Amino acid sequence: MNKPPTFWSSLWEHVEIARTLRSLRLYFDPQMCTGIWECYEVCPVGCWSRDLERGIAVLEKPEACIACGACVLQCPEEAIELR
Amino acid sequence: MATVFMKWLETTPRDYERGIRLLTLGRLEKLHVLLTEDFIKPGMRVLEIGCGTGALARRMAGKGANVTAVDVSPDMLAEAQRQLDARDLAGSVSFEHMDATLIGERLPVAAFDRIVASLVFSELSPDEQRHVLQNCRWLLAPDGRLLIVDEVPPAGFLQRILFWLVRAPITLLTWILTRTTTRAVRSLEVLLRESRFRPCRLGSRLGGSLVLVEGSPLPEAAPAFDLEQAAIPRLRHRISLRSLLVDLWALFLRVIPPYPKVRPGLYAVGHPDTTSPVFVSGNFDLSVRRLVRELDGKVDAWLLVADSKGINVWCAAGGGYFTADSVIAAVGSSRIESIVQHRHLILPQLCANGVDADRIRGEIGWQTAWGPVRAEDIPSYLAGGKKTDAMRWLRFPLVDRLEMVSATLGLYAIMILIPLLIFWRPLFWPVAISLFGLSYFYGVMLPWLPGRDGLVKSIPLALIALAGLFAYVTLVNPLPPLRLFHWTIGLTGLSVFVAAELQGMSPFMRGEQANWGWELLIGIALGLIYWLVPMAVGWR
Repeated sequence: MNKPPTFWSSLWEHVEIARTLRSLRLYFDPQMCTGIWECYEVCPVGCWSRDLERGIAVLEKPEACIACGACVLQCPEEAIELR
Repeated sequence: MATVFMKWLETTPRDYERGIRLLTLGRLEKLHVLLTEDFIKPGMRVLEIGCGTGALARRMAGKGANVTAVDVSPDMLAEAQRQLDARDLAGSVSFEHMDATLIGERLPVAAFDRIVASLVFSELSPDEQRHVLQNCRWLLAPDGRLLIVDEVPPAGFLQRILFWLVRAPITLLTWILTRTTTRAVRSLEVLLRESRFRPCRLGSRLGGSLVLVEGSPLPEAAPAFDLEQAAIPRLRHRISLRSLLVDLWALFLRVIPPYPKVRPGLYAVGHPDTTSPVFVSGNFDLSVRRLVRELDGKVDAWLLVADSKGINVWCAAGGGYFTADSVIAAVGSSRIESIVQHRHLILPQLCANGVDADRIRGEIGWQTAWGPVRAEDIPSYLAGGKKTDAMRWLRFPLVDRLEMVSATLGLYAIMILIPLLIFWRPLFWPVAISLFGLSYFYGVMLPWLPGRDGLVKSIPLALIALAGLFAYVTLVNPLPPLRLFHWTIGLTGLSVFVAAELQGMSPFMRGEQANWGWELLIGIALGLIYWLVPMAVGWR
């Protein structure tokens, strides 16, 4: 079934990816967070902040997210999802 | 008469206290509070050099520290003791009469968790400063810290002028009232570094002229590393004909492969040794040269260039071209493991979307840290050992916006203007001028145009462009209706195209390809209007 990509199909793939990128939202499960704050370290737009008292991360500004995926990849607990 | 004058010249401890408070506009105390709150814990053994009338010593003892406070002036010490006796403190203070240069001979080695010096180094000669710092290294216990509060010249030229303008009258007034003055320590941080302390500026007041600096002792200097013997190339910031040509290419045509690349491998920046930090970068020529531009002459470091297929790290990591494997391969294939004693990589923060740091740690046992987003922040990141939010967050300042507009325009010039030049020459100049004008205007105005989407931003852009057109027509040069109509269609279409397409240049907006459908629709609609309206109105 896998056809080799043509010029037009790869263009269409770009559109699909772009659409997905735009619709992606961050989902965060604070229960799974162990507070290493790697998400806060890598987020280039400041979505995350640190709750020093409870020792967990806080998704403070989800609207700033650019769906780069850095926090999702770096979180060792897989507490963050983009979908 | 002379005796009276000489008597007046003498400074009493009380005068000194008042004078310092006046001279620092009360800000010295703020730094003392910061120092005590953040760095003094109950039970700590603290040495204060040059305690004066003992205000800081009492504050630290109040937090529960056991303070040994030395000063060269018996009068000051007597006053300090008097004020201490009047109080009940959690910790203890013992005052000792001692010249700062003698602490190494009189006090026990490795016996202090903190050594504190407030407005002391400015009173010492350069030789004395080095001698005292050397002694501080001996007196500090393992993990001990040196904390210096002192006056320094402000960093910038303008700040310096402003500082002296404000400072001169205060200095004069203070001296007349109290015969007290202070001097600024030149290059305090350099001094610390020379004495093998890592300096970190923790706080500053009075426009950066009064600072709190922490010094953490570094291991004794490692033997210098012989780069030439190891045959490791050194990267320098040099402007050459080649670099200018590559810059010009990169300015307008960077999106077109082949991307200018640097050969992956280990490079030296400055004169790194076996303890120098190791930075990882991708191998896009422009990135590496900009990195070196910011580091050369300021930082001694190793630069491990990993293969990112000549793409910048963010895009390469996002596209799967720059991964943990690229970094692991770069470490393994270079000789870095036999060169540096530590196992600590500083990764570009923007590759975190594709480089799994956990895998690097797990597979090759190197620790990783995320460096600043922008290379220009690296020297202060290294100096402070800490990363601030400003170093972590993207900015898209005007210079970058103009650069990215140019980089995008290069491609559109080829795709749009060259065909026009060949097949439809009368349209070349109007389209070229409109395209460039609209694009740069859009680049400048980007933060102020409403919406987070190129298509939405195209509405205000088109409105502004049309307002400009109608202002031109009414005020300068009236156009015949048909030409005005064509210009309206053209500018609207180009505005939509520019705003929607240039969305991709901004790091804050995503997925411009999703606009294509709308662009096509708007294009068809404008085309229909272009054909049908003149027929309906009978302009032809």
